[in-house]
Amino acid sequence: MMVKVLYFASAQGLTNLKSEAVRLRDGSSVKDLAAEMLRLHPALKTIEPTIRYSVNFEIAESDTAIHEGDEVAVLPPVAGG
Amino acid sequence: MGSVRITRRRIDPFRVLASVADEEAGGAVLFVGTIRRRSGGRIVEGLTYEVYKEMAEKKMLEIERSVRNRWPVVRIAMVHRYGALGVGEVSVAVAVSCRHRAEAFEACRYAIDTIKGTLPMWKKERFKGGTETWAKGAPIEA
Repeated sequence: MMVKVLYFASAQGLTNLKSEAVRLRDGSSVKDLAAEMLRLHPALKTIEPTIRYSVNFEIAESDTAIHEGDEVAVLPPVAGG
Repeated sequence: MGSVRITRRRIDPFRVLASVADEEAGGAVLFVGTIRRRSGGRIVEGLTYEVYKEMAEKKMLEIERSVRNRWPVVRIAMVHRYGALGVGEVSVAVAVSCRHRAEAFEACRYAIDTIKGTLPMWKKERFKGGTETWAKGAPIEA
């Protein structure tokens, strides 16, 4: 299945991408996506412990299921306000 | 004016405050966040906020619901700016009106703290001398 992945802030700088389409095995969850992210973009390892993922605009857990066409985002530590 | 907004445009905090005026309210609290000149001992020239807009708008509506569940809020307005801002400019404004002041203070405090912890926003600080870095921040709260 294909999902759309968005990169923000430092994750954008480390991948040189704002977004991309990523292929995942059917039945994948966020932890599978996280592993695939590090495989595609080893530079993300530097911020890996602080990254959170969202799936369709909601913060996801490592066991959150991902489906075809979902919008996933790589979210480095936030600093709004 | 809508009750929650993420915008590139300048924020007028007094308009945000005016938008929560209501005859049922006995008090209104306004919080205004501004860009500070110093950060970690360095001189800031300005900063750029990046936002995951669709998610941030959704989060802000969730914050509004959660504030309303906890306090008897009459009106609430929250505005966050993104894009390039200069020192002294307003980055965020939160206004809450309630029947009584204690709950207005508490609700406003909770709203701005939750905005800081849960909105998918990032800021790149531009320092004197030209260096730019992403502010350290904290992992986003669920």
